[in-house]
Amino acid sequence: MDPTYGTHVKLLAFDFLSLTQKSSSDPICFYRKGRPVSRAETVGVVVSRERKGDKFLKFLVDDGTGCIPCILWLNHLNSPYFSRCNPSDVRLMADMAAGFAEEIKLGALARVRGRITSYRGALQITVSDVFVERDPNAQISYWLDSIRLAVNCYNVLPSPNFLKHHHQQNHKR
Amino acid sequence: MASSSIKPGILVSLQDLYPSSPFFKQGASLRVTGKLKIDTRHLRDLNLRIGSIYQFIGELLIQSNNEAILEARVGRNVDGMDLNLYYQSLQLLRQFQSNHTSDQAT
Repeated sequence: MDPTYGTHVKLLAFDFLSLTQKSSSDPICFYRKGRPVSRAETVGVVVSRERKGDKFLKFLVDDGTGCIPCILWLNHLNSPYFSRCNPSDVRLMADMAAGFAEEIKLGALARVRGRITSYRGALQITVSDVFVERDPNAQISYWLDSIRLAVNCYNVLPSPNFLKHHHQQNHKR
Repeated sequence: MASSSIKPGILVSLQDLYPSSPFFKQGASLRVTGKLKIDTRHLRDLNLRIGSIYQFIGELLIQSNNEAILEARVGRNVDGMDLNLYYQSLQLLRQFQSNHTSDQAT
């Protein structure tokens, strides 16, 4: 399996927003220059914020190259999706999400990670983690990291031998 | 929330903001670091201290005398930001973006 599928790819917003989706795939998969991706990270300024009570917080992260819509779910305690999980785990997730929601303020520089999802045809990140960056150089570092990773890693197709080896490994298990 | 109505603050340095530059457009959404006239009346929770550097994202308003004011939507204190690195990174970013877009086109 292509390693980019299992990691939070650090993409610049303009790059993230040009990801493609295979229309007939199940589960839903996104691609960047032919390589599969499922999770992403962004670092940018929160430029809008819309809270829907205890359901979710929608916000927009602007990294200077584009705006990535993010959705942070807040409904763990009421959602049937989590009813099968251990209640104390659900409580932990709910508390963590509530904490993130407090930190997402307009103008804050945030590092956001999560799954790449699509809503009504628009790409977005379903948030799993938020870290508010206090270091004024964090945005610059992120730009440079993203460019370096794109050039040295994401843009390079993994060798057929690598993929074949990993495919065999997965099948052995 | 109509996310399409909020445009990203395109990164510009102050040298880019002269009247004939492509960034000097009415309503262009910009992120500016440096010295420019900024209208911060819509900003809350931001204490502006003399001597500190701030970064603002907002829309450029060009007045009749060709002077520009940035109507800020958000702002933050960036004391400690490495400005040399910042300007170098802007150039790198622009190059990367144009390379990437031309790759997509081919």
